Parts: sequence; C-alpha cells; structure tokens
Amino acid sequence: MSFLTPLFLLGLAALAIPVLVHLTQRERKSVIAFPSLMFLKKIPYESVQKRRIRDWLLLALRLAALALIVAAFARPFLRGSEVAAAPGGARDIVVLLDRSYSMGYGDSWSRAQRAAADAIGSATSSDRISVVLFADNAEVVLRSTPDRSRAVAEINAAAPGPGSTKYGPALKLAGSLLVESMLPRKEVIVVSDFQRSGWQPDDTLRLPGGTVITPAVVEGASGPSLALTPATLLRTRDAGQPERVTVTAGVLNRTATAATAIPVQLEMDGRIVQTLSVNVDANASATATFAPVSIATTTTRATVRLGSEAPAGGAVQTGVAPTASSIDALARDNVFNFVITPSAPVPVTVVTQGNRDDANLYLSRALAIGEAPRFETSLQSAEALAGDAADRARLLILNDVSVPEATAAKLVTFVEGGGGVLMALGPRASWPSAREAWLPAAIGTTVDRTRGAAAKLSGMDYGHAVFEPFRAPRSGDFSTARFYAYRGLKAVTDATVLARFDTGEPALVERTIGRGRVVMFASTIDLSWNDLALKPVFLPFVHQLGRHLSGFREQPASLTIGEVLDIDAAEIAAGATSSAARSEAGRTVLTPSGQRRDLSVRSPSSAALELVEQGFYEVRAAGREPGPVIVAAANVNVAESNLDRMDPKELVAAVTGTGAPGSTGAQDVVPDEAQELAQRVWWYLLFAGILLLIAETVLAQRLSRATR
Amino acid sequence: MAVHSPIPGARFVDPAVLARIGNLEMVAKTVVDGLINGTHRSPFFGASVDFAEHRGYVSGDDIRRVDWRVFARTDKYYIKEFEADSNANFSVLLDISKSMSFGEKISKLDYAKTLAACLTYLANQQRDRVGLVTFDEGIVDHVPPSAKHLDVILHTLDRAKAEKPGHLVAPLKRLADHFGRRGIIVVISDFYAEPDEIFEAVGPLRFRGNDVILFHVLDSQEVDFSFNEPSSFEDLESGDQIPIVPAALADQYRSLVAAHIEALTTRSSQQRVDYMLLNTSQPLDFALFRFLSMRERLARTR
Repeated sequence: MSFLTPLFLLGLAALAIPVLVHLTQRERKSVIAFPSLMFLKKIPYESVQKRRIRDWLLLALRLAALALIVAAFARPFLRGSEVAAAPGGARDIVVLLDRSYSMGYGDSWSRAQRAAADAIGSATSSDRISVVLFADNAEVVLRSTPDRSRAVAEINAAAPGPGSTKYGPALKLAGSLLVESMLPRKEVIVVSDFQRSGWQPDDTLRLPGGTVITPAVVEGASGPSLALTPATLLRTRDAGQPERVTVTAGVLNRTATAATAIPVQLEMDGRIVQTLSVNVDANASATATFAPVSIATTTTRATVRLGSEAPAGGAVQTGVAPTASSIDALARDNVFNFVITPSAPVPVTVVTQGNRDDANLYLSRALAIGEAPRFETSLQSAEALAGDAADRARLLILNDVSVPEATAAKLVTFVEGGGGVLMALGPRASWPSAREAWLPAAIGTTVDRTRGAAAKLSGMDYGHAVFEPFRAPRSGDFSTARFYAYRGLKAVTDATVLARFDTGEPALVERTIGRGRVVMFASTIDLSWNDLALKPVFLPFVHQLGRHLSGFREQPASLTIGEVLDIDAAEIAAGATSSAARSEAGRTVLTPSGQRRDLSVRSPSSAALELVEQGFYEVRAAGREPGPVIVAAANVNVAESNLDRMDPKELVAAVTGTGAPGSTGAQDVVPDEAQELAQRVWWYLLFAGILLLIAETVLAQRLSRATR
Repeated sequence: MAVHSPIPGARFVDPAVLARIGNLEMVAKTVVDGLINGTHRSPFFGASVDFAEHRGYVSGDDIRRVDWRVFARTDKYYIKEFEADSNANFSVLLDISKSMSFGEKISKLDYAKTLAACLTYLANQQRDRVGLVTFDEGIVDHVPPSAKHLDVILHTLDRAKAEKPGHLVAPLKRLADHFGRRGIIVVISDFYAEPDEIFEAVGPLRFRGNDVILFHVLDSQEVDFSFNEPSSFEDLESGDQIPIVPAALADQYRSLVAAHIEALTTRSSQQRVDYMLLNTSQPLDFALFRFLSMRERLARTR
C-alpha cells in the first residue's frame, strides 16, 4: 500500500481538533452575563468534570471520519507487485504470435511456432493460456483455457499472412485479456521477429501491474532481402492511337551486399510481357522501366515480379505471391500487383430545349477538355429524357429546359439512384409544380438587371468541393462575370447555398437526394443572360461541378493490404452509369485466394471492401444490368520488408516502465483501467468517511436532545 | 398581548408589551384601571366612609367624631369609628443595583419600575401619600411621601438606571430612620443576599410599625436556569467569571434558588412581612391583585 499524495497525511494532525474542541470549547464559549453568581458559587464545582469526555462514541466517530477522509485524500493505491501474488500462484499466459509476412522469411515461422509451443509447454495445469495472432490487427484465437494441447494446435494451424507488424493493438488486446484475469500471476509471451517498423511508441499502452513480459525473438535466416516498391504508371495518348502506359518498377536492396543481374518481369493478364535485369547496390534502390504498352479496353491486371518464374499457363492465380523464391527468403515483397484501367470517361448528357446547339457551345467545349476525368458528352432533348436516355449518364445537365412531369419523375429516380443533375435556369426553365418540393430551391420569376449595375457573384462557399480550388488568393475571380438576368431562387431548408448574387439571392444551390445530388444555377450557362462562359474561371468551374455531381474520384492503380476499397467510387471511375450504380441487388467479390463472397446491401450509401489478401480482388454487380467489373490490386506493405530489429527490452521498457524482461517490478505502470482499479481505494475511504459523518450528526443530535 | 388571568373578566397585559410603551403614567393607568374594572372592587378600600363600630367617648377624643344621633337616642357620647384611615404613607423602595438590569425579554428593572409606577398610581388614587426611594449600594433618589408627588415619582422612575452593584442592608438601615410615621413600605428587589442579611435590613422598617411588602422580582432564567451551552458566567455586579456547564449544574442551582425562596417565604411570615415572588414573565396584574388583597386584609384588621 502506498499513497499518491502522502503530504495529505499531514492532515491527520486534524485528528487533534475534535479532542481539543471537546476539551477547550466549553470554556471558550461566549460569556453570559448573569445577575449574581451567589448560588453558582455555592455549588461544588470540580475542574475534572468539565474536562471529562463523556461521549466516547461520538469522539471515536469524529476521529474515524477525519482519519478516513484524510486517508482518502492521500490517494492510497495497491502496488502491482502486491496485487500479483508471490511466485507459485497460477499464471494467466497470453501468447502473442506475430503472423506478419516478414515471419515468412526463411524458416522463421516454424521456429516461431516452436517457440510459442515451448512457452505453452512450460505452463502448468493450473495456468490458463490465451493465444493471440497479430499483424496489422490482433485476433484472439483461443481465450483463457487450461487446455495446452488446444493452444499448441491453434499455433500449428496458424500461418503468416500478408499483413505488417503492429505491436500496439496486440499488446492492448493482451492487456484487456489480463485485466479480466483473476489469477495471481500474469504473463505475456511475445513471439516475433521484433521488427523496428512494427513499433510505434505509445504512452497510453500499459499492461496491468505485475505483468511479466517474455519476448521470444525469432531470428530469421540471414541472406539477401530485396523488395519491390510501388510501380509508377505514365500514360500517354497520341492522336488516333490507343492509350499507352509506361511502367516503372523500383527495387530495394536492404542488405549489405549488392545484388546483380536481378530479373524483373512485367506480367499482364498472366502473360509475361517483358523481363529486365537490374543491378542494385548494397542498401540502395534501382528502377526498371519497361517499354510502353498499349492499354486494352478492359481492365488489365499487371504484376511486376522479382525473379524469372513464369506463370504456369492460365491456371495459376496471377498476382499471388509464390511460396518460394530464388531471389531471397521473403517472397511476398517480391511481387507488386497493379491495375491498368483505360481512363473511362464520365458519361454526361446535356439536355436542351429544341434545337439550341448554340446554347451548349461553351458547355460542350469546356467538358471536352480534360483527362481526369474525361467527360463524354451527349446531347438530348427534354422529351427524349423521359425514355431511357438518362440511364446512360452519370451526370445530366438541364440547360434552360422546361421539364415535363414524365421527365421529372425520371429525374427523381435518376438522382436517388446516385446520379447528378445540374439545372441551369434561363427564361424557359420550369419544373412541374407537383414535384417542386424535390428541388433544392423553388424557381421564382426572372430578375432583370440589364438596367443599372449588372449582378455579380459573391458569397461563394469556398469550403465546398466545387469552390475549394478557388479558395486561395488569385485562384480565380468570379466577381468579374456580369449577370444581366437570373431566376429568383428560394432555397429549401435542407439545401445548401453555394454561391449568392451581390443582392444576397441564391445563385448556386445544392441538395443531396438519395445517393445523388442536384445543383441549381440561377442563370444560364451560355451568353444569353451572363458572360460567365467568357471568364477564365468557367472551365475549372464546370469541371468541378462535373466531378462533384458525378461523384468521380480518381482510383489508385494499387492498394495496400489493410486499406479499404470504395466500390461505388471505383465503379464511377470505371465509367458506370447511374442505372448501373442503382443496381443494389448486391455485388459478388472474388478474392485473390479464389473465394467468392457476396456483399450485402446493408449500407446503400457506400459499399466498402477491406483488403486482407495479396493479389487481385474482383467485384461484379449481381443485377440484371451488370456494371463494369471492378478489379483492385492489393499489395503487402513494403515497410514490413525492412527486417531491421529492435531490442525487445525497448518494447518491454515502453510497456512496463522497466528495461528488463520479466517482472515489471516496483516501477511497473499498469493500464488505465487497472490503475484506476488499484487506486479506487480512496473512493471507498471517502464514502466510509461521509457515512461516519452522517452517523455522527444523527448521534450528536440525539445526544443533544437527550441532555436537554 | 393578553394573558388569561384567574380573575374572571380581567385582561392582563404582558409586561414585555407594557415595557415598550415607555410612558409609565399611561402604563400604570392602563394596568390599574383595567384591574379595577375587572375586579369590580372599590378603589377606596379602607376609606373613611366605611362604618366599623361605635365606642364610648373618652377624654381627648375629637368631639367632631361624636355620633350625635346616638347621643340623642341614648344620651351617651359615642364615637363613630371607620374601618381604616386613608392617607397612609405609601413608599416604594426600589433596588436599582446592576443585577436588576438582567432579563431575557424584559429586564427586571423595567418590570420593577412598571410595578412601582402601578402601585404608586394605585395608592395615589386611594389618596395615600406616595413616596419613592431608589437605592443600589447607597440611596440614589429619595422622593418623600406626598399626595402631590406622583409625577415626581414617575419621572424619577423613568430616570432610574441600574449602574452600580447593590447592597441591601446599608441603605435600608439608613431609610428606617426616615419612616417615622406608619405607612406602607414596598421593597422591590431581586434579593441577592442571604435571608438573614435581608431581614436584618427589613426588620427596622417593620419594627417601626410599617406594613412591609417584599416583591422579589426574578427573571425566568434565574429561576429555571435554562441555559444549554457551556459558557463563562459573569457576575453583573462584581464582574467575576465562572466557567459553567449548565447541564451539570442546573439541578443544583434550581434547588438552591428554591431553598432561598423558601427561606424568604418562611422568614417573612415569621416577621409578619408580606413576601411575594414575581416572575418577569408574569403580568403585573398578579402583583397588583395580590397587593390589593393584602391591603384590604390589613385594613380589616384595624
């Protein structure tokens, strides 16, 4: 038992107060004037009588209450070493087994399994064993069991995965398992190669007091260690030629010996396209740039591989790491998978009233420029929209269109399914009044600003995605555009006004409906009502609107294991139309290991897939109108290939506060919960003190009444 | 505040309320008239209109007192005697020692002053000659008895303040010489002295044929000793202090006070002195009623 604030114990001197009060207070009371002491002086009056303590119980209660309260303020706590019983008690053992891909280096894994099995074998029948496998995340495969054979079986059944080492989550999990433990001794056995990259010092990470940490270091076989860094893709497009991609791979040599004539091969869709030979100096990196390749119309699965193993025909799953390699003892980082996708355009349908091609001139030209994304524009009349024209688009631009009821109904479905609509309002623009509540703003009358000063745009919401690129100074000036007429807008409550005219009236209003968005622009996007189309900001403005409304996000060529694939965004980037995105019947995922999984449609707003295997994931929509097949490449974290080791003492010291493995000793630090548990004594003391004070009050009142 | 009294129809007024009035004449009038109206007794007790008896004329009798009607019938001289002779000297001896300033709601001095005023007023109404002596360790004020001194007495009472320690024997012994003519002497005090000492002082007054009435004025706290907290008790006159635990001493104190009162009562009856204990929480009317009863009794004994 120790105290956090022992100085408070000085307060025990206060124990003398009730005694002093008891003894002296009677004489210190205020003087009462009395006519004559004639009779009082006649009464035999012993001085001992006034000093005698009569209510011993009352005094004892007061003293005990004071002592308890003082003790509570001194914050007593039980030391961890006291919490844990003396040697000889039963142990609660947590075996943390590292299954990151670096454990696949040489025979590291089998030695790790042996070390874990040995640790389990040393347990007695009264001990309880938990087995935790960890890499990026920690997973309890066996919870607190005395069955040693089962624990060994779990260890033997485990295999290293593609994850990278992270000690933090594993130690936290071990701590939470041990906090619940009722056994007197607690032990954590860490079986790992103790890679430095896996340890991030964390002040909040503490194990329960008295926990013994035993590191079991698994030394990998020494030898060459090469790794591939993420490849870079350079796309080129010549007029009339298909798009071409130049792939550049990086090779990292982490050993002290130079590697010469290392074959680096590029495979596309299972076929070896090209093989290069690179020399890498000791502790250095080199690049290998492959000849440009033409991109097919569909997604291509590409792999850069160290070594010259050719895939055996089409039967072998592409991208999956080989189990052995002639290059080095760690095979997983010798493969880098990526996806080459043709840059799919975002289908945009521009709807006009009648044959007003001139009205779309500036808009069409603006949309035709740009690569990321590329907008594929098609023109439609408002009448044709009632058919299935909308289904082929991600974005509909209604350029001053009077929308009939049938088209409005179609638009509602289109937007709720994830499509985007931009409504530019001119003199012809109208919307069925029955569906007016659906719009971001009610369309009002035309405001004529041809007389006097023309209206300007002001009050842009630069925090919004549309205006975000214009946020910095000198990044586009909207105020130079003159608006000679516009339609009055009255935004609904859940709509966002993105820009206003200088009169304060809304100019650009957005509303999110279902999975899609609608943006209303109060003026035209040609020159009839304003000259915005002539200003430099017009092109980036239209592109930002297009990107935002179509939900376009650029997709990376490869992802790292542990990351999450946003399937919706990937589908849009692959050129999915609104109707394809609407098919919520479900999606089927084919994992790199060949397993088939159905993604449920629990969260229609976004579908996410966590990548846990190395290789190519394939996602297909299961509806009647299947969208594009999404292929995502998952690679191991290249940081894990760095086999630099840390001193296990460093980890033990960080978690327990002492450098030496073994008992955490006198200076051990326990996790917050356990610490709180050990220090909770003060709470009980304070509570008991208050109870005693209440009892004292009641008793004192009764005694006082009795004496009266 | 009205207090129910044992006398039917009488309204007794709380002394604490009276003390707030400030005008002693008004207070006295209120109390005395209220009492008289309530009791329906003649204020002129012992007056000369009440016939008592006839006796034979002896030489030296005033011939104006001969009943000539009886002489006409019997041809003998008879003197007509009346019950009492009015115009007695009525003197109040008021103790204004420091201890009289004590009191919880109303100080004993205020109570005593009111009592003295009432008695004087009452006596004056009976055409007695009224006088007043205030004393502490010596004589402070002396208003000789006179039928016209009511105003002076009330004014003297009004001015009286309890400032000095008191001593009963010395002033009273000195006063005994002054009361040469028989009269009624009312001593109002808290009698903080031994009974022997008190009667040593009162005896000379009594021996000169005066009717002596002792009004022993005490506060409730002096009788009950209803203190709770341990405190230092300071003697108002000597300034001595004693630490007291009331709870431990109250019983003994009360018994001592009771013994003191008992001793005073006994000695009073032995010496044919009228003694009355007054608690300042009691209405004055009790004291007046008692006084009237006694006065009437005295008159009948003539």
